[in-house]
Amino acid sequence: MRRNVAIIGCGQTKHSSKRRDVNLAEMVSEAVYNALEDAQVSPRDVDAFVVGNMQGFGGIAQPEQWLGDSIGAPGKSVIRIATGGTTGGSVGQGAYYTVASGLHDVAVAVAWEKHSDSKEAGATTGLLHVGLGNFFHAASYGLSLKNLVATSAVGAAAGVAVYQAMFYMYRSGCSIEHFDMVAAKARRNAAKNKYAHLQWPGCTQEDIAKTEMVVYPFRYGHICPASDGASAIVVAEENLARKKARQPAWFKGLAAYSDEENQLQSENFGGVGVLDPSEQKGCWMSATKAYEMAGIKDPKKEIDIAEVYQPFPSQELIFAERLGLFDEGTAWMALEKGETDIDGRMPLDPSGGVNATNAIGSTALQRILECALQIMGKAEEHQVPRKVHNAVAHGWGGVTSYITVTVLGDSPGR
Amino acid sequence: MKSKSEIVEVKALPFAAGFNWSTGFQMQRFIQELANRKILGAKCPECGYTYVPPRSRCGKCYTKIGEENLINLSGKGTLVGYTTAYVKLDGQGNFQDLEEPGIIGAIKLENADSTIFMPLEGIKPRDVTEGLKVEVQWREETKGELADIRCFKPT
Amino acid sequence: MGYVKEERPMTIGVEGTWNIGSYHYKGSRLIEEYVKGLKQKKLIGSFCPGCGKVIVPPRNLCGRCHRIMDRRKIVSNMGTITCFIVSPPIEKGKLKVLGMDPVETGLIKEGEVVIPVFVKFDGSDSNTDTILLNADPKAVHIGMRVKVLWVKEPQGALSDFEGVEPV
Repeated sequence: MRRNVAIIGCGQTKHSSKRRDVNLAEMVSEAVYNALEDAQVSPRDVDAFVVGNMQGFGGIAQPEQWLGDSIGAPGKSVIRIATGGTTGGSVGQGAYYTVASGLHDVAVAVAWEKHSDSKEAGATTGLLHVGLGNFFHAASYGLSLKNLVATSAVGAAAGVAVYQAMFYMYRSGCSIEHFDMVAAKARRNAAKNKYAHLQWPGCTQEDIAKTEMVVYPFRYGHICPASDGASAIVVAEENLARKKARQPAWFKGLAAYSDEENQLQSENFGGVGVLDPSEQKGCWMSATKAYEMAGIKDPKKEIDIAEVYQPFPSQELIFAERLGLFDEGTAWMALEKGETDIDGRMPLDPSGGVNATNAIGSTALQRILECALQIMGKAEEHQVPRKVHNAVAHGWGGVTSYITVTVLGDSPGR
Repeated sequence: MKSKSEIVEVKALPFAAGFNWSTGFQMQRFIQELANRKILGAKCPECGYTYVPPRSRCGKCYTKIGEENLINLSGKGTLVGYTTAYVKLDGQGNFQDLEEPGIIGAIKLENADSTIFMPLEGIKPRDVTEGLKVEVQWREETKGELADIRCFKPT
Repeated sequence: MGYVKEERPMTIGVEGTWNIGSYHYKGSRLIEEYVKGLKQKKLIGSFCPGCGKVIVPPRNLCGRCHRIMDRRKIVSNMGTITCFIVSPPIEKGKLKVLGMDPVETGLIKEGEVVIPVFVKFDGSDSNTDTILLNADPKAVHIGMRVKVLWVKEPQGALSDFEGVEPV
């Protein structure tokens, strides 16, 4: 029988493109100790750690072994999880399993990325050199470099997301202006979030529309930054949670499903059977299962806010639909009406989301953390104006088809 | 019967991923002080455990360690463990025989609690024993780089 | 107004490389089969005995029904564009890919507009990603009919397939 579990503390570092004032271990420890302080839990009371970042990123093969001492992990249970862009989501869910199973009473989930330790800009080193390693055997079959450069690299920063955006535009009828609106909203919201990276107070759709086109339909202003930063949550069983937190953020439902791989070319250079990469069946499956576990019958009515994983603005619209928050092909209409603003009917990414802050390994954990802040009423300037009963956190990654969905609430729900 | 595979192995790609890991303030001081032939350790203000190289959080009692907790170490120490290497890697996945076997020692510096791993020279592998007293050997010109510490030798 | 700027102190860095090139990556029999087909100007796909899908280039396992795709089918050289993106004119010094400037190395001409596309070849149920050549960027559309542009003398290499061009 699983136990009720809640988030009782949240901690982050300030995110920026270069955290050269600290080394990796120091950066991660900053987030962990911020979370412990927030939860008013001593490091001695923590039983287990679940940690993670993108595999290979930052050029350190086993970062958990270096930073263990710095986060108070010696002598305690430690698991490292890496599931690509979804890593943080899996790390957060891992902490839930650790406590819900009854194995441990208090667990810390921490995830991070430190892009500035790579010599090339942004996530280039990680993605092209480490992430695609198993794709390189194609080079011995005379892979045309021009083709490689053109297909995978013209949109280096955008990758498969740019194709996804084209499919979504085609089937939903939305236009590039809607992407401008999402990106402007992300930067505006981020300006209210003291930990966010790309903060632009009062950023407008027109500001974004003025930025240079990278590859149609993405402009510079649409693309997420590469951030250095870490985030951590403290997860506890029911008795302790009620004692420590005035309003804990309860885990109500969670799921992680994957669809068939649907990036440009499959891992072994085979073709890809998913014709539309914006179909994202894995998200729909995860959401259905997580809502069922949470006892949520109508997410449109019962969910108060969502933290959607949206490195690119198109993804906020695509995934909000897949999470059942809007009807198929209508999220952009709700956006137009302001329904997805901080004070709207269904606020999406009040924190600014991944579009404003992208420390890859940590991003999906940040979505869970931000939902928890909204439920606990601790989101400060970006707190949505009404009481949040249920919030949904989403993560996207793997071979662009792996999804985590976590539903948090202001009561355990059972 | 299976035919011989024509599968090709990709043996070289034209690029390598480059990194530049930031060190943080404690480690930066440690590296810079090497130029002055000084080895710094970090002494935990709570439990007194002394780390070398220094760090900013105690792994024993979780206390924060600041720049004010850095202390000078003598560069003399005791060998607490060692291993002898007869081969090295050539970077292409192959072993190469070393002309002379190399000794790598785990050394506990005076007033430090953690050990550092450094090459040990000036002694034959058969003469090495735990408890051996050793001393740091600097390279001729110290520049404030990790390579300033060349090796350790018996005193 | 613009972005909020932030200043932070810097500490020194320690450098290192991770030489991905020193790994020995294994190839795959499937690509071998595929490039042998290219030499004869044929596109080989794998057929799923479970759901009947044909995937190009071939793969060994069906992603949906998980059956082993041990049968092959040759699909048409003609196909339909299911998705396209258009790059701005590529200029020297603007783009760095795999540590090189593609204009400087001659892979992409100065000012060239690159159009990566997904193509669904007739008789296949998959997207194959490639580039559209000899086309007016303004005329590209989803549903556009294209055919494979082969090199003059195919060698049995992935580069035999230069891209696709409008029919």
